Amino acid sequence: MRDPLAGNQKHARFQALCQSLRPDLLRFAIWLSRDRAVAEDVVQETLLRAWKAQDTLEDEKAAKPWFLTIIRREYARTFERKRLATVNLDDLVASEEPALAASDAEDLAELRRAIFELPEDYREPLVLQVLMGCTTAEIAAQLNLSTAAVLTRLFRARRQLRLLCGEDTNLDPDE
Amino acid sequence: MSVCADYRRALLSDPGGLKEELRIHGRECADCAAFAERAARFEARLASAMQLPAAAAGAGAGAGAGAGADAGAGAAGAAGVAAEVVPLRRSAAHGGVPPSTIRSRWFAVAATFAVAAATAGLLWIAVPRASLAGDVVSHMAGEPAAWRVTDAAVTPAELREVMLNTHMRLGSGVGVVSYASSCEFRGHRVPHLVVQDESGPVTVMVLVHESVKTPVDFDEQSYRGVILPVPGHGSIAVLTRNQAVDPAALGRIAARFESAVEWTS
Repeated sequence: MRDPLAGNQKHARFQALCQSLRPDLLRFAIWLSRDRAVAEDVVQETLLRAWKAQDTLEDEKAAKPWFLTIIRREYARTFERKRLATVNLDDLVASEEPALAASDAEDLAELRRAIFELPEDYREPLVLQVLMGCTTAEIAAQLNLSTAAVLTRLFRARRQLRLLCGEDTNLDPDE
Repeated sequence: MSVCADYRRALLSDPGGLKEELRIHGRECADCAAFAERAARFEARLASAMQLPAAAAGAGAGAGAGAGADAGAGAAGAAGVAAEVVPLRRSAAHGGVPPSTIRSRWFAVAATFAVAAATAGLLWIAVPRASLAGDVVSHMAGEPAAWRVTDAAVTPAELREVMLNTHMRLGSGVGVVSYASSCEFRGHRVPHLVVQDESGPVTVMVLVHESVKTPVDFDEQSYRGVILPVPGHGSIAVLTRNQAVDPAALGRIAARFESAVEWTS
């Protein structure tokens, strides 16, 4: 007979897991979609799908890649459902005004804008690495790429960011 | 020269995963060490930039969820679930809501209430409040740059700035502190340090506002750690990504850190 108490505790643990991961999932979705409203919808759908499929998550240690897989699929579905409008970066940065109002915002605003400007092929692995803490192998698995390809994209992403932000790139290596 | 190029290329592609031979090169080559220092500064900025604070506001939903969770009561827990799936705010740029979104929201609300109704009667016994360990682990995800394996210590000035107003001083027994940041954690600024241990980088967070009665071991999301009580001064969280480190070893690291701390009030 199913133990309702155990089931309840399991749900509570899963809820806590969702709560702990949600902020970074939302950040990930914003960086991916470059649209806050779309990101919120994607995260909402992701959490719903995750809630319904929570029994398939056998090991909480695997939660991060599990959620990442769901959110990337959900983002792809969103993309299929509707053609996302072209994003005007000036509008985007303006819409993120609350984010840029932090004390260190001036320094970071330029960098955030540069990240948004990166091609998605470079932006996504970089966000997975820096924000989500994924290893190169984990990124390769998520993006279905070789680790060499991931490293190349990460290198290009950083090099492009450094150029966009006026960093001294004279001593940067060639690809 | 090609080693220099390899080292710098690795820093710009996977700064947290440098191979041993490259790390040795970074210590021995002055030009590359200088390059690494600049790269580390850029990496820290990059990590900060990724942490869109708006996401927390976007968790406008999340705020409700957190409040519900903190209350710890059944109804509040159910409200937490509801808040988790219902977005409360939309940007002005999105005046019109796509039909698919409206449909999914209704489904979200319906699913939420179904779940809430089924579990509200029992939720009071399960504590849905995010655990301290869980919050510590969540905080780690935002600062991957902290996990660099390095021999380079932060400057005394940087460390002093982070320790400002913490009412504590670090003695020499701490070891090489390779990362120091004053981070917001549960509404307070707390020192977030990384100490280079023989087992690899070990993160230490001094949580003077968070008390635990007994040591709390945890193993979540690839992080293994312990939170030790510090009578009169909250607690100290110590964690690593090295799964080979056992809780006892982490406890020893935490104890060593605690003994190297001098409380000034």
